[in-house]
Amino acid sequence: SLVIRGEKDEQAVLCSKDKTYDMKIADTSNMLLFIPGCKTPEELNADQASCDIIHSQVAGFSNNYWELRRCRPKLKKLRKLLMEDPYEGPDSRKDQTLTSSKYTTEDLLSLIQASEEEILHQLHVIDACKIEGYWRVLEFDYEMKLLNHVTQLIDSESWSLSKVPLRTCLEELGSLEPREMIEHILLSYGRKYIDDAGEVYFEMHEDKICRAIAQMLLQNAVKFNLSEFQEVWQQSVPEGMTARLDQLKGLALVDKTSRPETIFLLKVEDLPEDNQERFNSLFSIREKWTEVDITPYIQDLCAEKQTVGALLTKYARSSMQNGVKVYNSRRPIS
Amino acid sequence: EAAFLIRSEGAGGLAQWVLVELQGEVVPRQSGGLAGSLLGDLHYTCKGVPVLIVGHHILYGKVVQLEKPFAVLVKQGAGEPGPAGPHTHYTVTALIKTKLLFKTRPKPIITHVPKKV
Repeated sequence: SLVIRGEKDEQAVLCSKDKTYDMKIADTSNMLLFIPGCKTPEELNADQASCDIIHSQVAGFSNNYWELRRCRPKLKKLRKLLMEDPYEGPDSRKDQTLTSSKYTTEDLLSLIQASEEEILHQLHVIDACKIEGYWRVLEFDYEMKLLNHVTQLIDSESWSLSKVPLRTCLEELGSLEPREMIEHILLSYGRKYIDDAGEVYFEMHEDKICRAIAQMLLQNAVKFNLSEFQEVWQQSVPEGMTARLDQLKGLALVDKTSRPETIFLLKVEDLPEDNQERFNSLFSIREKWTEVDITPYIQDLCAEKQTVGALLTKYARSSMQNGVKVYNSRRPIS
Repeated sequence: EAAFLIRSEGAGGLAQWVLVELQGEVVPRQSGGLAGSLLGDLHYTCKGVPVLIVGHHILYGKVVQLEKPFAVLVKQGAGEPGPAGPHTHYTVTALIKTKLLFKTRPKPIITHVPKKV
């Protein structure tokens, strides 16, 4: 079956099990009559016998109909809802108050304008987990605390980053943090696999770990001197990992025009979901963008089979600057 | 809030309806509604061309397979919206994959042409 979802202040969408569609009313000046049981010429040909009059009734008529167009699921609200009450760990006193806003899968299905599969997929992407039946995201500091436990253990045990044993992590860290949280952080930052002996291991995601540490450093100031940042960042990541700027796509932006060069936090998930609003927001942050710089901040806007190039053609105007192609707004930004 | 669309429970699949599309409006001959009145006669020529006779007009049309088929929805049980209340349901009653499009100008049928004397 299909579901129409939306609150009173939202535009309705129709969802199948795994897709989302915008619903619009289409008007026509023609009159559309619906006739049940009306036969087409092919159907009458097949039925040679009858030469009788068939009495049919017009069931109804209309000047308009609902049209569906496949659209991106509206998932920004999901993160917003879950960030109302991020999980800060078992010691936090917050969870014990009754006023916390928490959401079950059912709650999310009735509030988020997306199909069930799209919602569940997004929950996985944002590393949400179910705690006592409610979907939660971890508060960033708590998440870093968990990650730090794991990376320190990897270091002290001299494990290979691609072979981190679940069992030992739970044994060593189980007294510090809930076992579910230890397993959750390993799942969030690593790829789970089972070896021939049936033991569970994790191959840690170097890029994702470096990226999280960068966020931790960058969120404490408006901007950083780029070279200083790179030095501190490399020193902060686990032994054996290489911190690289390309790990920060969609998270931070480098300003090459300032002297010295600087870097600042800019998270794509903090930007508007609507195409035009997203471009307005980006152009008010920076007047001219190269394709390389802007791509991570508009990639998620691409519809099925749409390219970043097509989006840029539609929402931006290009020009050359110092021999490089740059994009700016089509209209003046206030 | 959510409204659900459910395939109707009918024996042997969904009914197939046909859409008839007319340019302009159909108005009743006398004042009063359209309900219960005869619209007209639908014929097909031996070549499968639909012909509609409405009043004293004749319209020629064509059979069009819809690129985007329609689903006919019937609203059921619109209860008060609320967290505990029943959700609105729409039942898919029929599918429409074919339409008979009449967009040529209706021709009046003249049954008696006086002879020139």
